[in-house]
Order: sequence, then structure tokens, then C-alpha cells
Amino acid sequence: MNPFFFSLLCIVLGGPLALLFHNNSKFGKLLPVMAISGGSLGGLVTALQHFTAPQPPTAEFLWLDWFPLAFRLDPLSAFFLVPVFGIALLAAIYSFDYLDNPAKGLRTAANYFFFSLLIAAMGLVVCADNILALALAWELMSIASCFLVLYDYELKENRQAAYIFFIFTQAGAMFLFAAFGLLYAQTGSVSLAAAAGLSDGLKLTFFLLCFIGFGSKAGIFPLHIWLPHAHSAAPSHISAFMSGVMIKMGIYGIVRFYFLLNVESVVYGQIVLFAGIISGVLGIIYAAGQNHIKRMLAYSSIENIGIILIGMGMGMLGAAAGKKELAFWCFTGALLHVLNHAIFKSLLFMGAGSVIHGTGTAAIDRLGGLMKGMKFTGIAFLTGALSICALPPFNGFVSEFLIYSGAFSGSSFEGWDFILAALAIVSLAVIGGLALLCFTKAVGTVFLGEPRTVQAEKVHECGRCMRLSMTLLACFCLVIGLFPAIVVEPLAAVTGALLKTNDIPMGDLLAFCDNITLGAILFLGLTIVLMILRSWLYRGKQVDAAPTWGCGFTRATPRIQYTGTSFAAPALEFFGPVAPLREEYTGLDGPFPKPSSYQSKPQDLAEETATIGVALPIFRALKRLRWIQHGNIQLYIAYIVVAIILSILITFLV
Amino acid sequence: MIPLVDSLLALVFLTVLFSLNCHRLLGLIRIMAIQGIIVSLIPFLLEKPEGTLLVNVGVLLVIVIVKGLIIPGMLLFAIRKVQIRKEVEPIISYNASIFIGLLVIYVSVLISGRMHLTALSSYPLLLPAAFTALAAGLFLLMARRKAITQIIGYLMMENGIYLAGAVLAKHARTQHIVEFGILLDLLVGVMIMGIILHRINHSYDDADTTFLEQLKD
Amino acid sequence: MQTVILIIISLLIIPVLAAFIKKVKALLTGKQGPPLLIKYYTLVKLFAKGSVYSTSTTFIFRFMPVVALAAPLMALLFLPLAGAPALLSFAGDAILIFYLLGLARFFTVCAALDTASPFEGMGASREAFFSVLSEATLFMVLVLFYRINGSLSFSSYFQGNNPINLWSAEGTLLLLVVAALFMVLLAENARVPVDDPATHLELTMIHEVMILDHSGPDLALIELGAWTKLYFYAAFIANIMTPIYPGKPWATALVFLLIIVFIYFAVGLVESITARSKMNLVPKFILTSFSFAFFATILTMELTR
Repeated sequence: MNPFFFSLLCIVLGGPLALLFHNNSKFGKLLPVMAISGGSLGGLVTALQHFTAPQPPTAEFLWLDWFPLAFRLDPLSAFFLVPVFGIALLAAIYSFDYLDNPAKGLRTAANYFFFSLLIAAMGLVVCADNILALALAWELMSIASCFLVLYDYELKENRQAAYIFFIFTQAGAMFLFAAFGLLYAQTGSVSLAAAAGLSDGLKLTFFLLCFIGFGSKAGIFPLHIWLPHAHSAAPSHISAFMSGVMIKMGIYGIVRFYFLLNVESVVYGQIVLFAGIISGVLGIIYAAGQNHIKRMLAYSSIENIGIILIGMGMGMLGAAAGKKELAFWCFTGALLHVLNHAIFKSLLFMGAGSVIHGTGTAAIDRLGGLMKGMKFTGIAFLTGALSICALPPFNGFVSEFLIYSGAFSGSSFEGWDFILAALAIVSLAVIGGLALLCFTKAVGTVFLGEPRTVQAEKVHECGRCMRLSMTLLACFCLVIGLFPAIVVEPLAAVTGALLKTNDIPMGDLLAFCDNITLGAILFLGLTIVLMILRSWLYRGKQVDAAPTWGCGFTRATPRIQYTGTSFAAPALEFFGPVAPLREEYTGLDGPFPKPSSYQSKPQDLAEETATIGVALPIFRALKRLRWIQHGNIQLYIAYIVVAIILSILITFLV
Repeated sequence: MIPLVDSLLALVFLTVLFSLNCHRLLGLIRIMAIQGIIVSLIPFLLEKPEGTLLVNVGVLLVIVIVKGLIIPGMLLFAIRKVQIRKEVEPIISYNASIFIGLLVIYVSVLISGRMHLTALSSYPLLLPAAFTALAAGLFLLMARRKAITQIIGYLMMENGIYLAGAVLAKHARTQHIVEFGILLDLLVGVMIMGIILHRINHSYDDADTTFLEQLKD
Repeated sequence: MQTVILIIISLLIIPVLAAFIKKVKALLTGKQGPPLLIKYYTLVKLFAKGSVYSTSTTFIFRFMPVVALAAPLMALLFLPLAGAPALLSFAGDAILIFYLLGLARFFTVCAALDTASPFEGMGASREAFFSVLSEATLFMVLVLFYRINGSLSFSSYFQGNNPINLWSAEGTLLLLVVAALFMVLLAENARVPVDDPATHLELTMIHEVMILDHSGPDLALIELGAWTKLYFYAAFIANIMTPIYPGKPWATALVFLLIIVFIYFAVGLVESITARSKMNLVPKFILTSFSFAFFATILTMELTR
């Protein structure tokens, strides 16, 4: 384990260095970036070595002479470390050009400090081998990420976002601690492996508690409310890291505990599959309605979590039904999607960050035509969009194809399981279609057409470091899409270790990868042939440039273009019952009407319900207790004394 | 070759689905006519009925004519007479209706699967079709505003009962007796409805069941 | 060998079949109609021209015609024709093909938004939305096929022990599937009642309005892609409907061709006797096709018990 801890140490060192040199804007950024990327690179290498290690290394410490902390680097941990360190590396490089406001030197340093803490905490989360270590790392991760969201703390909405995030992350942790408490109370052991010793009924309770706790971090509907707020408030490289990697920690927890519990009931699979279908479909519907580019990406993360859960749920159903092959395909697909989503979602967030950096606005409907001024960002974002829509020949397709392949063999189930499997396939198809709608909206409105406002006209392309990060990520998208064998093969070992089986259908899997490669290369070849044909057809022809034909309308301005809102309107209207649209139109009246305005905002059902049904009643109830807090220090001390006396009395009496 | 009864039953399902998302009254009535004819054919295809050919063909003809021509004809007549507007006016939207129709079909398949009627093993779709028509008829009664769609809902329920009767009646003939009773009731019902429709139309200028709410104390 | 010949024949008759719909519509309204080779003349005319590009557009606009043709051509390579095995096939190729068609749609929609024309945006928005629903139908059909046949590739659907064929024991279900697929064909290929290819008002178009700004060889490639896509769907349906005469491949091929002609005739017939739906009724139309497919799938639970 030592190389791993050295890498973490190297990363964490970056934080204090940044704080030390925060006055020097160049140096103050360079040092932490070097430390974080160096450490991440080391961690990445360590993780890659442990994919197939027969004997996972372990480490144990005694913290404060009392609390045992155990860590273990098995294949599943190693797999999850890859996106953690990989994306951290690229996000750190990206941040060098992104955080370029010298006036915010101290703030930038603090950002690096918490960023390095967050990376280290995540590294520890996936390696934790007992509940104490896991709880400790989990809390460290939550707190570090809360501070990262607060980067632009002057804005009220950002403070609000961090507040909501904090509430959710702590409430989720409460559920986890409840689960851990249950585990300790029943088995008397702090080790994670003790979970297998629970009784069957308690296993379900334990799993449900974990599912809620980890699910709130992963952003499963309806526990996702914090996610769009936090991701749009954080700086873009942090959003990329949070959306690409941090929410996967929730997925990691669910996978880890599902396999530790060693259960055979189908209920687990049904719960996870159902949650996946709901999160996937609703996530992408809400994403399609957003006008803030980062909020849109955040909702699309919920959708991708849904896809991962669909894969895992199908895998669990298959494992419960004794269909090893199905379970294998689906789990491999789900894990691959974890990696793929980390890659393309980071790419998209970095692209969005570059847009915000270059234009100063994140409102989709105020942009337009950026492909001319920011061609590099445009192409990078387009690559990310194609990947996230799961279109061949990019990487999103590979993982969805794996999940599809597994899910289709689930069509041989009977009864409810069959209906669930069929629904899963159809919802994957619908998610794919809606993702296409959502991301053509993003690409089309932001990068294509004519600039809608002045902000979109005066743009500048992003810096070299930002471009480097995005180029690498875009290349990964294409390479995994073209040659999936390079990642699927090691991943198969991880899945094999999870399912505790040695007969991995490796031949089938490699044939599967070859088929994808064949299809993708054939398609690319055909495209190239047709491109040559096209240029041959245009040889020596007259090619003119003229304005777009306005269909007879001669006074067109850029404002007349279809906006993203109007583009998504028909679909949103159709899905109105689950995604209501709040509209405010002042209207025109009288002979001299005042300027009128129209506003529309898609409502998040979960958020509305939580606000009206939970938050407001609690607020109202707590208002009655306001008299307790009156400002008199002496009385406060009296409270404390009373509390102490009461607790002593209780201990003596009971 | 495609099995005939199954195909006809599949067509019954289709008419149910179509009727749920049909947005025109005329189309709805036409669909009901088709459904009536198909439904009345089915019992005669199930097994060799007792009695002479002549009687059977006669009974068949009467039922087909009543279900396929007379009742739809009267409905059409009522529409023309009362000059109802052509839209169906749903309370629950068409899209939602389709999904509810699918749910109804699924639940009927589940229920009939639980019933284990051995006599039906050769016609697995018969009972689901009967349940579906019954439930969808009820749904139409609930989810559509116009008085005339209420009659159509009853008609569909009657078709469901007829199919269920075909399932349950051991002797074809006793079934016909029951069926004729229902048919007669329905015919009278349609006539009375027609008259009431006429009256409603005169008093309120529109044959919309929501106006009936004004009649309460 | 047989497959190669069939694909070449297919490529040759695709423009003729596209013109055949026009002819049917004309004949049904008592007109003479254009000659059957009219689409060939159109192609020759467009190939000979140059192009005018809007100053608003970027490389996406120029790249789109290529993808819009490449995807349907790929689909044709994986589709078995008339009982002959497909040129290429692997487990799961059906998913690949439908996703490649999705890729073509992505670029079509983006190219439309690239022109900055509000009308093209309108068409793009509709295309993106309606295809969500037709994709649901298509994948429901694939679930049904997997349940009947246990495979996930076009070639094995129509071969093996339990081929998907209208004239087999599952014919009743497949009747529904054929109806559902025909409705998807109408929706995906911009035919009445979803979209009217002959309409003159840009506001009401879907597919035609998205390619308003394309001209010359680019337009020719797009048109060719659209016809190929239509043929792909028609051939897919025809494969289900064609009875297989073992040992007589050419008889099968002939019947297959006749069925394709019949499907195109049906498209023309529908176009002549129905009006196009209001835009807000289109989702209902596609959902009906979904309900057919879903319903057929539910019935398999009953029939295969």
C-alpha cells in the first residue's frame, strides 16, 4: 500500500504549498498543480498495477490509540481509483488556466487546498476496509467538497447551493452511520466483511440504509436535489471532478456493499433497477429543460447514474436468477459506464467552463455561434456530446451496448422481472433519444448558428492547459469507442473478481469488442469514402456564400433563431406531468402596453415536493422554538448546565 | 398458418387500444362497430356448437346485425340528430389513456393467468380480451366527457361480458339466451339514452355530462 | 454472392421506389404522375450543380450529408434481404444500426441549427422529439424479437430454428409488429400523417425544412440517404412478411420484392387517403405504434406459457 499512501501524501502536500505562496499568482498555482498531478500520476500507476493482483495489499493503523483504521486495495478499489486519479490529474492541469484571476489569489489557494483534500479523501473512501475508515474518509470528502462549492461565495445562490449540499450530504451520512451502527451492534465487528454475517431481514434493512446514504451522494432521484445546485455553483474543473468522479463514490458504495452482503434475493436487483429507470428518464427530461449549461450537465449526470444503476440492477437480477453470463455483461457495462461517464462528463464540464470563461455567461439562450470563435472548445464539446448520447464510434456506446446485451438476455425472465427488463431496455432507448435532444440543443444553441447577444460575439478561446486536458479526454472518448478491448479486458477481471467466478466469458467479450471495432471502423471508412466522393463531386464547381434563406422573411436578426427553450418545448410539453413548466407572462394590455416579459422555468418534482412537503413544515414548526434563541449568554450557559445535569441523571437512573 | 381465433382476439385488443386514443366520435363509433362484429363472431369459431347449422347462422346473423349495424347506426343517427361536436373531449389525455390501456391489458393477462381455467388452454387470449374490454369500457365511462361516449363505454363493457360469456357458457344455446337478454337491455338503453340526449341537448344546448352536475340538489 | 447481387439491385431500385410513391399518389388522384425514373433525373441534376453555403454555417453543415448517407448504407450492409444472409452480421448489430441512424439524426439536427434559421430549428426540434418515441417502439420490437428468437442481430432474426416470420406460429403477434413498424416507418421517414413531404409551408414541415439550405451534390447525398433509410425500414418489414420457400432463393427474392413494392404502395395509399395530423397529435400516433409493440410483448407472456 505504501506507494498509494505516498501518492496521497504528495497530493495533500499541494494544499499547504498553495496557501503558502498565494501571493504569487503564477507560482502559487504551479506548485499545487504540480503536486496534485504528480501524486495523481503515481496513484494512477499504482491503481493500474492492482487490477489483477492476486493478493490485495492491506494496511492497518490505530488512530488515537483507540480506533482501528483498515485499508485494502482490491481490484474494485483499484478500478475506482482510475477515474479518481485520472480526472484529478486533468482537472488540476485544466485549473491552471481556468483560475486566472490574480485578485482571487487566496481563494484560489484555498480551492487547491480543499481540492487536494477531496482527492485524497476519495482515494481513502474506495480503499477503506472498515466502517471507521470509511466513515472518516466519507466525512472528509463531504466537507472538502462543500468548501469547494463555495468558491464564488459572494453570490447568494452559491451560498444557498453549498447549504443545500451540506444538508443533503450530512443527512445521507446519517443514513450511512445508521447502517454502520446496525452492523456493529449486530456483529460486534468494525470490518466491512462482517456484513455477510447479518441475518436476511437485517441485510435488506442494512442495504436500504446504505442505498439511501450512498444514493444521496450519487444523486439518485429523488435524492438528487443538491446536485444541480452544487454543480452549477462550483468552478468548472471542480464540477467536472464532482460530477465525473465524486458522485461515483455513491455507486462504489452500493456495489461494494451489495457484494459484501452476498445475497440471493431478487428484491435488491428490483430496487436498484427501478431506481435506475426513474433516475435515468427523469434526469434527462429535466436536463432537456435547463437553460443554465452546467445545470443541464448536472441533470444529465443524474441520467447517467440512472444508466449505471440500470446496468447494476439487471446484473443483480441476473446474479439472483443464477444467470452468471447476464450478470457479467451488465456489471461490466455498468462499471465501464462509470469510467466512460467520468471521461465524457468531465470533458463536457470543462467545455462548459471554457464557454463560461470565454463569454462570461452560462445561459444557453444567450449564446450562439461559438463554433466560429472557439472552434477548439466547440469540437471538444461536440465529442463529449456524441459520447454522452451513446453514439458510435464513441465510448458511451460501448458501455450502453454491454448493458443492452445483458439486458436483452433478461428478456427470458418471467413475470415482473421480465416487465422490468423490458422497461429497462425501452427506458435506455428513450434516454438515448432524449439525450440526443438535450445535447443537440446544447451544441446547436451554444456553438452553432449566429451569436444571440454581444457576450457571444466577443469571445476568446481557452488557454493551452485547458486545451491539453480537453484534448486528452476527447482522445480517450474516441479510442475507447474504437478499440474497447483495451479497457474491457482489464475490467472483465474486476467483474470476475466481484462475481467470484473464474470462468469469465473472455472469448465472447473479446469477440464483442472486435465487433464494435469492426462496426466503428467500417463506418468511419464508409464516411471517409463518401467524403472523398463528395469532394470529387465538388471539384471545379462554383461554391458561393450567402446568408441563410429566411423563407421569404427578409429582416431576420439573430434574435429570431430558435432558442434552446423553444427547441425542447414540444418534448417538455409531452412530459409535462412529470416535468411541469412554471411560466410567467406579464402580457400586453391597454392602448399603450408596457414592455412585457415571459419567463419559463422547468420544475423539479422532487425539489418541489421536498420544499413544500418537508422543508417548509419543518421551518414552520421550528419557528415556534425561536424563543429559545434569544441572545442572552447567561441563559445559554444555563441551557448547557441543565443539559449536562439531565444527561448525568439519565445515566444514573437508567 | 396464423391461428384465426387468436388473430381475431388480437384485433379486439387493437380496437380497445384504438378506441382509447380515438379523438373523433365518428371514428370511435366505427371502431365499436368493428369490435361488435368481431366479438359476435368469436363464440361460433370456438368449437362446434350444438343445434342445426341454420339456427346457428341465424343467431349469428342477428347478433352481427344488431352489434355491427343497428346500434352503431343509432349512435350515428343520434349524433346527426343532436348535432354533437365531433371531438371526443377527454378528461384524461389520449397519451395517458394509451398507457392506461396497456396497463389494463397487462393486468388482465396477469389475472387470467392466475385463474387457471383448463377449458381455455387452447385459447389463451380469450379471457384477457374479455377482461380488457370490460375494464377499458369502464375507463371510457370515467375518462370521457360526452354522454354519447358513455353509451360507447357501456357497449364495450357489454362486449367484454359477451366474450366472458362465451368463455363460461358450456352450452352455446344457453349463452345465446343470456346474450339476447343483455342485448335487448342494451338496445332499449341506447334508445332511452338517445331520447335523453335529445332532451339534454334541448335544455342545455350541449350533450355534455358535466351539465348533469347542475341537476343535483 | 446472392446477397451482393441483391444489395446492388436494391441500390439501383431505391430511387425508382421513391418515385413509385409519387406515381401511386398521382394515379390515385387521377393524374398521370412523373416518370418512374424522375429521382434519377433529380440526382443527375443535383450532382451537376454547385452549392451556396450560408455564412452562418460551420463544418458540421458540410459534414452532415456524408453521415446522413453513410448511416443508412451501413444499415443496408447488415440487413438480410429476401432470405439471403446479410453481408455482415454479429450479435447485437441491430443496436449498432439503430444507434448509427441516431448519429445521422444528431448531425441532421445540428446542421439544421447551424443555419440559424428559425424554421430549420422548428423542424429540428420536432425531429429530435418524435424520434424519441419511435425509438421506444423499435426497442420494444427488439425485445419481442429476442423473446421469440433469442438473438439480437438482423441476420439471425430471419434464420435459424425459430425465424421471425409472419407465417409462423407467432404470426398473430407479428401482425401487430408489422403494423407498429409500418407506423414507425411513416414517422421516421417523414411521411403522412406525421410529416407531409409535398407540403409548401416551411412552418409545417419536419424533415424537408431541416435541409432547406442544402443545395447541389450535398442535397443529392441527403436525398439518397433519406431514400435508403426508407428502403431499409421497408425491407425490414418485408423480411418479416416474406414466406420462405426453401431451395428456391429466387422465388423468395421475387416475393420479397413484390412485398416491398406493396409496402411502398401502402405508403402512397396512406398518403392519398389520409390528411397529415396536427403536430400535437403526432406523439399519439407514434405512441399507438408503441402500444402495439408493447401489447404484443405482453401477449408473448400469455402465449408462450
